[in-house]
Amino acid sequence: MPTPKERFQAVVENRPVDYPPVICPGGMMSATVIDVMNETGITLPAAHHDGELMARLAEAVQQRTGFDNFGIPFCMTVEAEAAGSEVDFGTLECEPKIVKERFPDNQSVIYEDINLLLTRGRVPAVIEAARKLSQWHPDIPVSLTLTGPISFAASLVDPLVFLKDLKKNPAASHKVVAYVNDFLIAFAKLAIGNGVDIVTFADPTATGEILGPKTFDEYVVRYLGEAVTAIHEAGAPTIVHICGDIKPVKHLLPKIGADVISTDAMLSLAELKKELPGIKTMGNLSTYLLDQEGAIDRITARTRTLVHQGINVIAPACGLSTTSPIENIKAFTDAVHQSVAETESIG
Amino acid sequence: MSKELILKKFTDAVVNGDEDLAVEAANEAIASNLDATEAIVDGLSKGMGIVGEYFESQEYFLPEVIVASEAFKAGVKILQPHIKVQQGTKPSKIVIGTVQGDTHDIGKNIVGIMLGAAGFEVIDVGRDVSPKAFVDKVKETNADLLGLSALMTTSMVNMKKVLALLNEEGVRGQVKVMIGGAAISQRYADEIGADGYSVDAVAAVRLAQKLVAVAA
Repeated sequence: MPTPKERFQAVVENRPVDYPPVICPGGMMSATVIDVMNETGITLPAAHHDGELMARLAEAVQQRTGFDNFGIPFCMTVEAEAAGSEVDFGTLECEPKIVKERFPDNQSVIYEDINLLLTRGRVPAVIEAARKLSQWHPDIPVSLTLTGPISFAASLVDPLVFLKDLKKNPAASHKVVAYVNDFLIAFAKLAIGNGVDIVTFADPTATGEILGPKTFDEYVVRYLGEAVTAIHEAGAPTIVHICGDIKPVKHLLPKIGADVISTDAMLSLAELKKELPGIKTMGNLSTYLLDQEGAIDRITARTRTLVHQGINVIAPACGLSTTSPIENIKAFTDAVHQSVAETESIG
Repeated sequence: MSKELILKKFTDAVVNGDEDLAVEAANEAIASNLDATEAIVDGLSKGMGIVGEYFESQEYFLPEVIVASEAFKAGVKILQPHIKVQQGTKPSKIVIGTVQGDTHDIGKNIVGIMLGAAGFEVIDVGRDVSPKAFVDKVKETNADLLGLSALMTTSMVNMKKVLALLNEEGVRGQVKVMIGGAAISQRYADEIGADGYSVDAVAAVRLAQKLVAVAA
């Protein structure tokens, strides 16, 4: 039986697997549910700041939920904090958020040394957590989930002004997005050097619905594409998660070049596979369903469908609510892990 | 310049997101004694209506809508002091905000812009707003409508708390509650007893108009 790390790599390389990996990549899609924190006493917001605690919480999450990976960090604010925006670190049940973007508009952005940003805020804690997890459990892949360049830029510059300037002032917009993208690439490379196996991007502001195909192509495809290429050169596979309804931008997704494309629950991944046969898909069990009491039978049934449809990587559609019962998540990962036994007994 | 040409200039300015053109049209409107309300309704708002149609048909997306709304606001700002006080009809008031635990306010802002362009008096209480702050603002302003937004499944539960507090404080009967946001569905609106759900900013304006008409 392959290790979880070998299994994920096999998916990336289009080799057959016994069952698809079932993962929760971290960042926007974190599985740090209240149940795990209460059971282990390793809690947020403390574990956002301390590499050892972050690693231990990620480990506890993996062991209790059964996901085939570790996912760090547990929020989408590490990058913006390092670049100078003000962050509220949230509570046990509520994830951190940007209190105030550092700059009112693109023109006021101060371009700092990327190497300096890598020493700021919680970047060192994330790197330490990656190193520890990869040393403790060399067989389980560590996923670093980064905030994609558009969402990151909209956390550094007032988001409405930023979105307006994508149209009104493209030159200034490109300069800011290129800057944050350089930081993301440097962060990813540092993390890969410290044990990270998979780099995931989630860019919730960069949806087809918000930007439309033209702007998506001009900014998201270009910069995420550059980041994906740089990360491949550093030796790690990439997952790109696109929120919302991807219909307006579906045709552009292969251009990003990611190994795996992850989508929200409203979309049929089986359909997407048919339309874009070249891409590998990840998803997309309803986050809402995973949060419901008494939903275990529906979770199991829906998960089996995803496996039977040949979805390459199974994951929650857009992360997990912190109130999701641990039994639900366990039922989810069990349904994937048991699918191989069932297939064999039928076959 | 003729009235028709100025009105068309307003509409074009909004549709093309041209702030400078909106300012130019507003100055021309004032110089030629064009009624300010007419300029807003038949010029600027008409433009936002077209922008709404383009948004629904996915010709326009959020950046285009924001750019259009900036042109709209630039025109209104100049025309505002020249509006003659209207007798009788008062605009309906709507309090809008993003519920506690949620800081994603792009969608809510767009809804606010579209409601304003449609003639509603919009009181925006911001993002990450506690149930108490919503209820207090509804009482203070005697609002006709309350619009709640949530992007995340983790925060949408707080909509229920706002409705519970409206009930507790005895003001649920005097305000229509509409909800929206990525995490929200009609089913959720029914489940928590909201008066309506809308899928986007254009539908939100239609819903608000319908709810106000029902209440009147």
